Amino acid sequence: MKAIVTLFERILQRVNINLRELGFDATPYIHIIPIGQMIKFYGFYGITPHHPLNFKFKNSNLAGSYFLGRCQVNNAILYKSDIRGDELKKRGDIFQYNDYKIPVVDNEEIQVEDSLLIKTLVHNFSHDPESLERFFIKDTISMNHSNIHGSPCEGCFIGAFATADLTTMHDCVIGNFAYIQAEEISHLNIPHGTIWVRNPGKFNFYYQHPQEKLNEYVYFSAGSPPQGKLIDFVADRKEAFQRVFDVVNIEQLIPVPSSASLDRYSVTRGQTTIGENVLVAQRAYLQNASLGKGVNVQENCFVINSNLEGNDVAAHGAKIIEADLGSMVFVGFNSFLRGRPDNRLTIGENCIVMPHTIIDVNGAVNIPPDYLVWGLIQSEEDLETHSISIEEFTKVETRLAMGNMFFEGNGAAFIEAFQDRIRHILKANGAFFNGAEKKGHAQKNQYISFNTIQPYPEGNKKGIFPTIVIKP
Amino acid sequence: MNQIVKDFMVTLSDYATTYKGATLYEAVLALETAKKDVDQTVHPHWVVLVLDENDEVIGKLSQLNLLMALEPKTEYTAVVDRLDRFGFSSKFVASIRETSLNNEAIDNYLYPDNLAMDMKVDDFMKTLSENEFIDENTTLNSAAHQFSIRKRLSLLVTREEKTVGVLRLADVFSALITAMKKAHNDEGEPA
Repeated sequence: MKAIVTLFERILQRVNINLRELGFDATPYIHIIPIGQMIKFYGFYGITPHHPLNFKFKNSNLAGSYFLGRCQVNNAILYKSDIRGDELKKRGDIFQYNDYKIPVVDNEEIQVEDSLLIKTLVHNFSHDPESLERFFIKDTISMNHSNIHGSPCEGCFIGAFATADLTTMHDCVIGNFAYIQAEEISHLNIPHGTIWVRNPGKFNFYYQHPQEKLNEYVYFSAGSPPQGKLIDFVADRKEAFQRVFDVVNIEQLIPVPSSASLDRYSVTRGQTTIGENVLVAQRAYLQNASLGKGVNVQENCFVINSNLEGNDVAAHGAKIIEADLGSMVFVGFNSFLRGRPDNRLTIGENCIVMPHTIIDVNGAVNIPPDYLVWGLIQSEEDLETHSISIEEFTKVETRLAMGNMFFEGNGAAFIEAFQDRIRHILKANGAFFNGAEKKGHAQKNQYISFNTIQPYPEGNKKGIFPTIVIKP
Repeated sequence: MNQIVKDFMVTLSDYATTYKGATLYEAVLALETAKKDVDQTVHPHWVVLVLDENDEVIGKLSQLNLLMALEPKTEYTAVVDRLDRFGFSSKFVASIRETSLNNEAIDNYLYPDNLAMDMKVDDFMKTLSENEFIDENTTLNSAAHQFSIRKRLSLLVTREEKTVGVLRLADVFSALITAMKKAHNDEGEPA
């Protein structure tokens, strides 16, 4: 196992060098990772007729990780991570950036180099106008349940349950449960629980989760493993995934319409129903879930004892428990929405639940239709400072502050940006498929073959996968 | 301007000083006492120097540092304080601070309670950086140039590594005005 230990230390050193200016040392955060775990699991990749295929793995550990599309991994450790390259740009595409229409000259590729990704989702495409054909992740460590979404990064440490969304990052520390969507950032240390959505010149949204309360949900400090209710919640359901990863040919337990896709690496339990044009991605967990037409449940989502009426989006890592959602509700990345069996959480149609929102209530909470919701909500009263009708928000022309939320800019532009994105997500996922046209992932991802790859079983290279090149 | 720095510095013994471990209140008193001592001069002291047990200067406290130390500090104000790093305009941040200060709960923050006055100077003093120092034999011309490029209101004067005084911008500027007047008058005199 000498090679994997050397690799581990090499990655750590490179990350620390990049973050020296911030005075950040990743050592105590990652030395708690049991390297022995890295040799237990196989890696696997998908083949479809819809996505350009090109994999190259070299001097890396890929334990339990999944790859789709075009991806190159060099000198990296990827543990139970999803590298999903089904939205990469293709040669000939035109990338719009401000007033520039930039031609894409080659098929885009995800390149992971000298990095350690733990239970991380990598998805979407590079939004960096300076790096259109290369979605790079270099000299970076990302911790449990983090998302790197359309965000090339170099020299970064991304904390547990953190999300980098459509943001190029250089030498940054992203705190636990922080969500960043800010085009480009460098040399920033983002505090835990920061929610920051910025479009320079148009709007700037910032929310700070109260630290002490957030610690109850996600807490990860030097020298101890990630803790908190979110970690416990996921850990309690870990066993359910054992079967889907152990069995090669798995049968679907529930009927799935021909226009819908239920990933074979997802879990379904109880009385779960899947409507037309539904997409359920890998590592999603459904239990007594009713998913209406066009609903989209992305990677690492949990939907338990809940009804999603139709065209709702549960973005990567969202958790919805004992809740009833009207149609077209967007639940952002890693949100944790938990009602109670006798006091359900109701969210009206067209609501936007901001990424990394926590709604955890003992009493019944009813969010009216067309509301914007954010932050940490533990009672009906908290809604007063953590939600606003979309109509009201649209009227904001300069600034707004409510509790720990600060907004500067044009409210209408902010809402429009979100609504555009929700429509794009639904379209890309095939929610609007009419039987012949408007196919998306729900229809295209039905035909995926999965192949497994394994590391050296013994010796110095134990745990390292041999150099593998896979081409069409 | 043929003079050198030591001709213009205020010696450490004449300057407002306090010791590591002193309270905010003691620092304020030191500033006030020193101010009274130099009431006859044009420019009073506005900085307290913090000394260690060997009488070495280890930090500075300006009036601004003292005011900042008295600012209310809550989780909320900490969030507001970092907004400018996240792309918010200074106008926006100022308006949030103003609203926050108008909050009834912290209306009287300028009349601090014992808790604030007992804060240790070590916790809010400005620690010294390399470019805070100037040798006592530096010419005043060079000192004026150093103030300009270092953008400081005072520099600590050293003699063989030991801090012996303070050179204040106001004193250098006064010398500069005197030199300008002399040069102007000399030029104006008939040959």
